[in-house]
Amino acid sequence: MTPFDFFVLSGLLFAVGLFGVIVRRNVISLFFSLELLLNSANVLLVGFSKLHGNLFGEVFVFFVLAVAAAEAAVGLAIVVALYRYRKSVNTEDFSILRW
Amino acid sequence: MREVFFYLFAFLSVAFALVSVTHRNVIKGGLSLLASFIALGAVYFTAGAEFIGIVQVIVYGGAIVVLYLFALMTMDLKSFGKELLRTVSLAAGGAISLFLLFSVLYAGYRFYGGSIPAAVSGAKELALPLFYRFLLPFEVVSVLLLVATVGAVAVGRREE
Repeated sequence: MTPFDFFVLSGLLFAVGLFGVIVRRNVISLFFSLELLLNSANVLLVGFSKLHGNLFGEVFVFFVLAVAAAEAAVGLAIVVALYRYRKSVNTEDFSILRW
Repeated sequence: MREVFFYLFAFLSVAFALVSVTHRNVIKGGLSLLASFIALGAVYFTAGAEFIGIVQVIVYGGAIVVLYLFALMTMDLKSFGKELLRTVSLAAGGAISLFLLFSVLYAGYRFYGGSIPAAVSGAKELALPLFYRFLLPFEVVSVLLLVATVGAVAVGRREE
C-alpha cells in the first residue's frame, strides 16, 4: 500500500463526482456527486495522515464530515422548498433568475 | 492481506460511485451511494484509520444518505420525468474529469512515496489532538451544526 494507491482512489472518486456534477440535471443526483467530491478529499487526508504518522489529517476529516452534514441538511431543505414551489427537481426548471 | 482488501474495497467503492452517478433512478443511485460509502469505510479500516472508518459508516451511511432517501420519500418520483443529457455537457464533463484525473495521477506519480506504515488509530489516539490542539475548531464546528439545524428548519418550514 503506497501513497500512489490513495492518489488513484481519490482521483477516481473525484473524477466520477465531477462528471456527475457537470452532467446530471437532477438536484438530488447533484448532491450525491458533491458528497463523492468531499469523500475523495477525505481519502487523501487519511492517506497522508497515515504516511506522515501524525493524526492531524484524520482530525481534519472530522471537520469535513461536519461540514458535509451541515451542507446536506441545509441543501436538502432548500431542495424540498424548491420542490414545493415548482413541483420539480430538475435544474432546467429553476431558470427564473437567469437573464 | 490488508493490501488485498484495500484494492477490493477501493474497486467496489469506485464502481458503486459510478453506478450512483450514472443511474437514472434516484433511489437506486442513493442506495449505491450508500454502498460506496460503506466500502470507503472499509478502505479506511484497511489503512488502519479505524475510528474514521466507523464514523464514515455511521455519519455518511447512516445519517447523510438516509437523510437524502427520507427527503426523496416526500417527493413524487413519477413527476421527476426524463432527464435529457446533452452531448455537449457529456463531452465537457468527460474531458474535464479525465483531465483532473490525470493531473491527480501525475501528481501522485511525482510524489516521493515510501509505504504506508501499519499503525492503527482508534478513538483513544484521535482524542488527544482533537480535544487539545484542535479544541477551538471543534467548538466552532458545534456552532456550525447548530446554525445548520436552525437554518434547515427555517428554510424547509411550510408557510402557513
